[in-house]
Amino acid sequence: MAAQQTPVDVGGIVRPAGRLDLATALQPRVGRLGERSAAHLLRRAGFGGTPDQVRRYAAMTAGDAVASLLTLPPVSSITPPQELEDLGRPVSMATDPLQRSMLGQEMTTHRERAREGRDAIVALQLWWLNRMLSTPAPLQEKMTLYFHAHFTSRATPVYPWITYNQNALLRRYALGNLRDLALEISKDAAMLIYLNGAQNVAAHPNENYARELMELFTLGVDNYSEEDVRESARAWTGWRVDRRTDTVTFDAALHDSGVKTFLGRTGNFTGDDIIGIIFAQPQCAKFFAASLLNLLVYNDPEPQLVDHFAALLRRHDFELTPILGTILASNLFYSARAYRALVKSPVEFVVGTYAALGVQAIDPSALDALTQMGQRLFFPPNVAGWPGAKNWLTSGTMIARQNFLTRLLNSQTLAGSSWLQGLPVASSAAARRLAQTILQGDAAPEALFELEGYLSGTGTAALAPLSAENYDQRVRGAAYLAMATPAYQLN
Amino acid sequence: MKRRKFLLGTTSGLAVVANADHVFARALAQTPLPGLPGGADRCLVLINLYGGNDGLNCVVPHGNDRYYQLRPALAIDRKDVLAIDRNVGLNPGMQSVKALYDKGMVAIVQGVGYPDPDHSHFRSTEIWQTAAPDRYEHTGWLGRYFDQAGPARENLFKGVAVSKVLPEVLVSDRTDIPAVPGLGEYVMMADRNVAARGAFSREATDSHLPFASPYLAHVMEIEANAQRSSEQLPKLVAGYKTEASYPATGLGRSLALAAQIVGSNLGTKVIYVEHGSFDTHVSQKMTQNTLLMQFSNAIGAFYNDLGVHGNERRVLTVTFSEFGRRIDENGSRGTDHGEASPLFLIGGGVKGGLYGTLPDLSATNMGNVRYTTDFRSVYATVLERWLGRSSAALLRGSFAQLPVLG
Repeated sequence: MAAQQTPVDVGGIVRPAGRLDLATALQPRVGRLGERSAAHLLRRAGFGGTPDQVRRYAAMTAGDAVASLLTLPPVSSITPPQELEDLGRPVSMATDPLQRSMLGQEMTTHRERAREGRDAIVALQLWWLNRMLSTPAPLQEKMTLYFHAHFTSRATPVYPWITYNQNALLRRYALGNLRDLALEISKDAAMLIYLNGAQNVAAHPNENYARELMELFTLGVDNYSEEDVRESARAWTGWRVDRRTDTVTFDAALHDSGVKTFLGRTGNFTGDDIIGIIFAQPQCAKFFAASLLNLLVYNDPEPQLVDHFAALLRRHDFELTPILGTILASNLFYSARAYRALVKSPVEFVVGTYAALGVQAIDPSALDALTQMGQRLFFPPNVAGWPGAKNWLTSGTMIARQNFLTRLLNSQTLAGSSWLQGLPVASSAAARRLAQTILQGDAAPEALFELEGYLSGTGTAALAPLSAENYDQRVRGAAYLAMATPAYQLN
Repeated sequence: MKRRKFLLGTTSGLAVVANADHVFARALAQTPLPGLPGGADRCLVLINLYGGNDGLNCVVPHGNDRYYQLRPALAIDRKDVLAIDRNVGLNPGMQSVKALYDKGMVAIVQGVGYPDPDHSHFRSTEIWQTAAPDRYEHTGWLGRYFDQAGPARENLFKGVAVSKVLPEVLVSDRTDIPAVPGLGEYVMMADRNVAARGAFSREATDSHLPFASPYLAHVMEIEANAQRSSEQLPKLVAGYKTEASYPATGLGRSLALAAQIVGSNLGTKVIYVEHGSFDTHVSQKMTQNTLLMQFSNAIGAFYNDLGVHGNERRVLTVTFSEFGRRIDENGSRGTDHGEASPLFLIGGGVKGGLYGTLPDLSATNMGNVRYTTDFRSVYATVLERWLGRSSAALLRGSFAQLPVLG
C-alpha cells in the first residue's frame, strides 16, 4: 500500500486528504472487519483492544461488532471504589437524625477532609482507568470520558462523592439522550459548584453557567446574544447544593419566576425550558455533530458532512445509541481518510498500551505518567476541557509517553502478558507478530526488517544472538521499539 | 513525495532527523532586533510565585497605620521592614533583592491585577498565563509570542520551562517548548532492554508507511524534537562553568539552570521557573517569610552568576502570582484569597524604582486591594520593549506600557 495524498494542514484546519463521498459516507460498511479495522474500531469506540478482542472482532461484520459495543452492563454492576466507600457516604440530614448527630461528632477539620478527599480522588482516577481497561462495554467509558471533557467540571477534593456522582451520571447517559444529559448535568452538584450555578439566585444572578452552557456545551460562540445569557441565567436561578449531604435542591424562593425572552421566545421559563429551546435550534445538532465527528472520525470535518450528520442527530432526537451505531458502522468510519487520523489522548495511549500488552490491571504509576502527559482525570485545565489533537504532543509529553513505555515494559507487571512471552523464537516470525499485534502492520518495511535484526541479534555486533537467557529482555525491547514508532501515537 | 532521511534513535527506536547541529548554528546567527538595548541575546525569565503571594507582607506599607490595625498578628514590624521610602519597604527576608534595588536593578509595580478578579487558584492562574481575563484561551501569552515568531522555530530551546509540566503560559499551537524539570530529569530513559547503543538504525521514508494521517508529520517532528533536545541539552550547556553559590532550594536549582542556559547562548528567549506555594491560609508569617527569603537569595545568586559572566543586562526577570491576599488577616493567622498585588521586574536593563500606585487600604474591593495597573500593561511592556514584538495581537488589545525598561 502506498501512502495517500498529503493531508491538509492550513490555517489551523487539520483534515485528511482525499474526497468525501457524502452519498455513501453514513451507509453501513459491508463484510467482515479484519484485524486492522477491528483494532481501529476498538481504539475509537474504546481504548484499544487486547489481542484476543481484536481477533474476535475481526471475524465480525461492522454491524455485529457495533451491536456488541452498544450492549451495556446493568448499572447495578458498577460500584464505586472501596476508598470512597471507606470515607462514608454523605448522609441525608432530613431522614436520619441519628446519623446527623454522629456526623457532627465526627466532623474532621477541613484540612483532614481535603487530604482524605484527595486520596479518594486518586483512588477514583485509578478505578476509572481500570474500568476503561476491563469493562465489557468500552464505548460506555469512552463516551463518559468524552462527556467529562465536554460538560467539564473540576474535582473539589473536599467533596469526592460529588465527583463520583457526576462521573456516574455521565456514565448513565453515555449512550442515552443528549438533551436529557444536558438537563441533568445542569442540575448536577459538581457542575453547580464548578460553574457557580449554586450561587445563581434571583437577587444576584450569576451568569457563568448560562454562558458556558451555550458557548461550550451546546451552541458555540456567536449563536446567542448577551441578552440570551442574562435571560437564561434568570431561568436557572434557585438550584442549590447542600454541601453536608451532597444533594441538590431547588429553592423556589430564590428562583426568578418572571417572564424571560430567550433565543426569540418569550415565556415564564425554567431551566428545563431553556434546554428545550436550545436543542430545538438547528445549530445545536450541528454543534454536537461536529463534536462527535471530531471524537470518532477525524478532526475539522467538512461543513457538508457536519450538516449531513446533524440531520441524523435530529432524526434520532439526540438518542446516542442509534447515532453512534450509525457512525461506528459506516463507510466513513472505516475509510482510509479516518484511519489513524487522530492523535491518541494520554488516556487512550496509557489504557491502550495495557490492553495491547494484555496486562490485566493498571497500577498507580500510570497516574503520574498521565499527569506528565498532560491529562489528569477530573482536573481538566479549564471549562473548555483538554484542547487535545496537536496540543497533546510536545517534547515533554512525548518523553513522558516514551518513558511510560520503557517503565511498563521493564516492569514485573509485564510477566502477566502471556502473548508477549509466547512469541515465536524465530525472529522473523516474532517481528511480524509484534508488528501485527501492536501496529496492525502499520510500519514501514524497513522498520520490520530492523525489528527482526534486533530480535535475532544479527543487526549489530553489540547484541548477542537471541537465546533462552536473553529472550525475555529482547522481546520486551522489541515491543518497545514497535510502540516507539509514529503509528503508535495515532488513533 | 518529499523523501526525508531518518536515523532511528540509538536506543529508543525513534525517528530522528540526522545532522541536527546546524539548527543551533542558525539560531545563534540571528540578527539583533533593531533599536532595542541589549541586542538579540536578551532573555526573559518568568517566575511564577504560585499559590497567591500576599503582596502586603511582601512590599510592606509600613507607613500606613491601617495596615497595622487590620493585621494585628501578621503585620511586619516597622523596625524589621527593609525600608524603600516612608511608605513601603520589603519583607525582612528580601535582603538580596533590596541590595539589587539599591543598585537600581529592581522595579516594583504595585497594585497589579485585572477587572472582575477570580478568586480560584486555577482560573486566576490561567488568566495570568493566557492573559485572557474575559474568555478562555488555550494558548499562553508567551506561547502566542513563539507561534508568531517565524525564524526561531528551528531552535529547540527558544523557550524552556524549568518545570515538570509545560505551564499554560508556554502552551502554543505551533511551537514545541520543552519542559525541563532538571537536566537529570529531561531524559529519554535509556532503554534497558535495548542494551546495544547504535544497534538500531535504519533509513525509512514516511511514504513507505501503509497509511496517511494528517498528524503523521507532526508526530515525527515532535518525536525528533524530544529525542534531539533531551540528548543535546546536557551537552550544549556542559561548557558553562560557574563559581556562583546558589541556595539548595528548588528555585536555587532552577535559576542555576537558567543562568547556565543563558550563558550557553542557545538563543533562548524565555525561561519559566516556579516557586511556592504561597497559599498561606494558616500561619502565614513563617511560611511566607521563608519563601520570600528563598526567592530573594536565589535571585541574588542568579544575578551574581549572570554578572560574573557579563549577562546581567541580557536577563529580565519578571514575577507574577495568581492573586494577592485579603487585607484583613483571618482567624488562623493567615490570609485568604485576594486580588491585586505587586510584582517585580529585575535586571540590568531595568529602570529601578517604584511604579504603579500604593495600595489604598480604605477604598477596597470587599476587603481586597483594588487593581490599579492591568497585568497586561506589564506584558505589553515586556513584549514591546524587551522581546521587541508588537503586543496588541498577542494580548488581543492595546495596553499602556510602563516606563520600567531602559
